[in-house]
Amino acid sequence: MTWIGETAAGTTLFDRVFNLRPNLYADYQRFASLFWSERLVDPVLLELCRLRIAQLLRCEAERCLRHAPARAAGLTEDKIAALPRWPADPQFSALERAGLAFAEKFVIDPHAITDDDAAAVTVHLSPAAMVAFTEALALFEGFARFQVLLGIGA
Amino acid sequence: MATTPRIARPQASGKDAIANSVLAHQPRLLEAFRRLYGTLWSHGVLDHATKEVARLRNARVTGCNYCRNVRFAGARESGLSEDLVALIDDGFEHSPLNDRYKLVIRYADHFLRDPHGMSADLGAAMRRQFSGAEIVELTAGLALFMGFSKIAVVLGLEPASMPTTVVATPDWPA
Repeated sequence: MTWIGETAAGTTLFDRVFNLRPNLYADYQRFASLFWSERLVDPVLLELCRLRIAQLLRCEAERCLRHAPARAAGLTEDKIAALPRWPADPQFSALERAGLAFAEKFVIDPHAITDDDAAAVTVHLSPAAMVAFTEALALFEGFARFQVLLGIGA
Repeated sequence: MATTPRIARPQASGKDAIANSVLAHQPRLLEAFRRLYGTLWSHGVLDHATKEVARLRNARVTGCNYCRNVRFAGARESGLSEDLVALIDDGFEHSPLNDRYKLVIRYADHFLRDPHGMSADLGAAMRRQFSGAEIVELTAGLALFMGFSKIAVVLGLEPASMPTTVVATPDWPA
């Protein structure tokens, strides 16, 4: 339960809290949905990174969520269950490994990302896809922290 | 720290630094982000100076040179002077900053460093100082400030150095 003591209308607790600022929530939803609806980046890569960030930040609400485009693109629950072991598990592709390594450093210490770390991702992604990928990481991390701090997702 | 862009910039076509940055590779995302950021800053419920304190605290903790040296005009016009900005630092608790700004910095630090560790006392202090809508706006602001600071860091968009620069508040009427 959130500690802020008031909520607005909505289906989920995230909806009810964020709807205390309805025009801001509407613009957030418009921005966040583009990553999935426009397929700016491989949805499996996005979903794996979103879930890994949720694991690192211990955001239960995000850990329990699944995006349909990733499932439609072949992401299974077995692979999601293997996510904490991604460095040693052969299910993960070269792009997924590079993206997950990048995502983990993005959360823990973005200054520790080296040119080689970035190049390991950009060898697979166009400049436009790389921009979308980093913006998605920013959104995933920022709003996982938002949920944990407000008592929505912890 | 990377101060050389890790991906090439598109051909310059925008009206400001962001529109001419690598973010322009994704024009629909950029448009949606600008709308979101403009709503946060200029169509909200929380005063500009309070949001600017949170933004600048993030800039210092996350270590983004660009964010650290930019000032939004609306916050400056509402009284957030350079003397006050200089106090948004590690010694802030013992500084002359007012209690509201100190509370925002404590809250921002939990967001950035330990979102699970906020005490009930800090939550109660936030509720006394801010409405629920203001807390949501501040927390969403922190999410965007942190996220886009990190983008600047990881894509090598930060300048090695830059002077303090006042820019227009997003979507604030001229």
